[in-house]
Amino acid sequence: MSLREKINNIVPIRDDFSLKSLLSFEKTPLNVFMAILSVGLFLWMSYGVGVYLNHGHHAYNVTREHPWGLMIAMYVFFVVSSTGLCIISSFGHVFKIPGFAIIGKRAIMGAILTILAGFAVIAFEIGHPVTMVIYNVVSPGLTSAIWWMGTLYGIYLTFIILEFIFLARNDHRWSRLFGIGGLVVGIAAHSNLGSVFGFLVARPIANGVFYPIYFILSAMITGLYLLFLIYGFRYKLKFPPEIQEFLYKIGKLLALLLAILIFFEGWRFLTAVYGGMPERADVALHILTSAPFLYGELLLGMVIPFVIAFTSKGRATVALVFASITGMIGIFFMRYDLVNDSQLAPMMMLKKREYQLEPHWVDYFPSSIEIAISIGAIGLCIILYYVADKLFDLDYSQEDIHH
Amino acid sequence: MANYGMALDYKNCINCSACETACKEENGILMGADKHRIWVGVGEIEGQYPLLDITSNAFHPSQCQQCENAPCEEVCPTHATYYDDNGIVRVDPDKCILCSYCMNACPYDARYVDDRTMTVDKCNFCSDTRLARGETTTACQTTCPTKVRTFGDLDDPESEISILLRTREHYSLKTHLGTKPKLFYLT
Ligand code: SF4
Ligand code: SF4
Ligand code: SF4
Repeated sequence: MSLREKINNIVPIRDDFSLKSLLSFEKTPLNVFMAILSVGLFLWMSYGVGVYLNHGHHAYNVTREHPWGLMIAMYVFFVVSSTGLCIISSFGHVFKIPGFAIIGKRAIMGAILTILAGFAVIAFEIGHPVTMVIYNVVSPGLTSAIWWMGTLYGIYLTFIILEFIFLARNDHRWSRLFGIGGLVVGIAAHSNLGSVFGFLVARPIANGVFYPIYFILSAMITGLYLLFLIYGFRYKLKFPPEIQEFLYKIGKLLALLLAILIFFEGWRFLTAVYGGMPERADVALHILTSAPFLYGELLLGMVIPFVIAFTSKGRATVALVFASITGMIGIFFMRYDLVNDSQLAPMMMLKKREYQLEPHWVDYFPSSIEIAISIGAIGLCIILYYVADKLFDLDYSQEDIHH
Repeated sequence: MANYGMALDYKNCINCSACETACKEENGILMGADKHRIWVGVGEIEGQYPLLDITSNAFHPSQCQQCENAPCEEVCPTHATYYDDNGIVRVDPDKCILCSYCMNACPYDARYVDDRTMTVDKCNFCSDTRLARGETTTACQTTCPTKVRTFGDLDDPESEISILLRTREHYSLKTHLGTKPKLFYLT
């Protein structure tokens, strides 16, 4: 039996797949641009990793007062994307909502690849990833949100890989079972990631129920943005009728979810500012007047996509594809602010003036290496997607429509 | 086994930094502004001459509070942070994965990264050095010229620290967080 047959026995790959097919693509300007962009980003990431391997955390701008930086934000960005794609795809083959089944394979593959990119980023942030794998098992810290988040994400990844394999084999019974498993574990893992911040009793701005819940909501929104981008690119904005129908549906859904998000954020800031509690109200006011929040999160991430989705009743698909680009930039700032804002207020416990004057806000800006690895990882993600698209048939079959 | 704590008669502190130096010397702490297990906060004199507020010009020695209910221990994914038999919160460098979660979770900014092991370090009441040698004092306490620091067993009613805490008013930091600190500031 040849290698191809052996692989085919586990998961069917495309008949036309070969090294040659892998390297050939239609040379449209957009494709060429994407190819150069992703390879460039990937090389940038590799350079960052090289410097990191030589200099360790000294290559990063993280400090005693601001131990978490851009890399954590980027990890969150990727795993939010993964959970979002998984949740939206489950609408079809777990909940059997008509019209959603056609995205199954492509969305689940996206979920697998985004979480892999997330793991790649976090591997260069955790100081001792190998020790982590060993001691996570040998001496589990069951009260640690990071332990639960990491462990559940491990299980989640296993489930969605199996889900994809069975989807590709057209085995809808098993793919549905693993789909349910992936969905439940994924939601648990993802809200645990929110609780990593929500459990910080030392940080009043982050402490509380908001993040674990908000993470699930913003994951779904991220999933929708990504689906607009993936399908916009796949069909070059000329959609077949089933896909067009599907995009109308998620356009409406996007308007609804964004409205809920804006509502959530409104109350989050009102409760944070009300009463003027130190390290909460002052931080919240600082966030509310900062450019990353106002222009990044609010304008790009919420208002622009919402206005387009709402005024067109979700039907301005092409505009929404472009709004998803601003949306994803906004989502990036949401993750960055989440990490940065939690650490803004200086602890400075009685350190009124020891080695430095007490700063008003803890200062952090990522180093060039942090930026290289984090942003470069987007290139890794696109390359993985390109390979997966060549290797597997990610389009829907007639059978998918009926399931 | 003991239950160690420290009382600080902080109004006696003259900011000589002998304790910080002794700590670095005893425990081999690296140089660098970020790398300190203990510190002394210096309050600037506030107000305009002649209405100077001399009470603002106080010195506040501090360090890890050896919380009885330590947020850093609770969040550690690999039990690298643990309570030892003396009630001291310690870090096992073999298990630490440098996720920095504890640095974020500690309400007292007591933790930092030790660049030699690339793991998180903090004050452990000289557990690896003096206590390990069988002594019952810490470097900062022995060196302090004005006897700001009293280190001892909180479970022993006759220990100097227990007597002090019974007879002098004192407070602890951020007790509203439920961390139950074992550093006591004598007033
Ligand atoms: S002061 Fe900080 S490092 Fe020390 S035990 Fe408490 S939480 Fe842990
Ligand atoms: S940095 Fe080390 S000691 Fe701190 S929580 Fe992570 S594994 Fe535990
Ligand atoms: S040795 Fe004593 S007096 Fe000197 S700085 Fe330290 S606590 Fe203050």
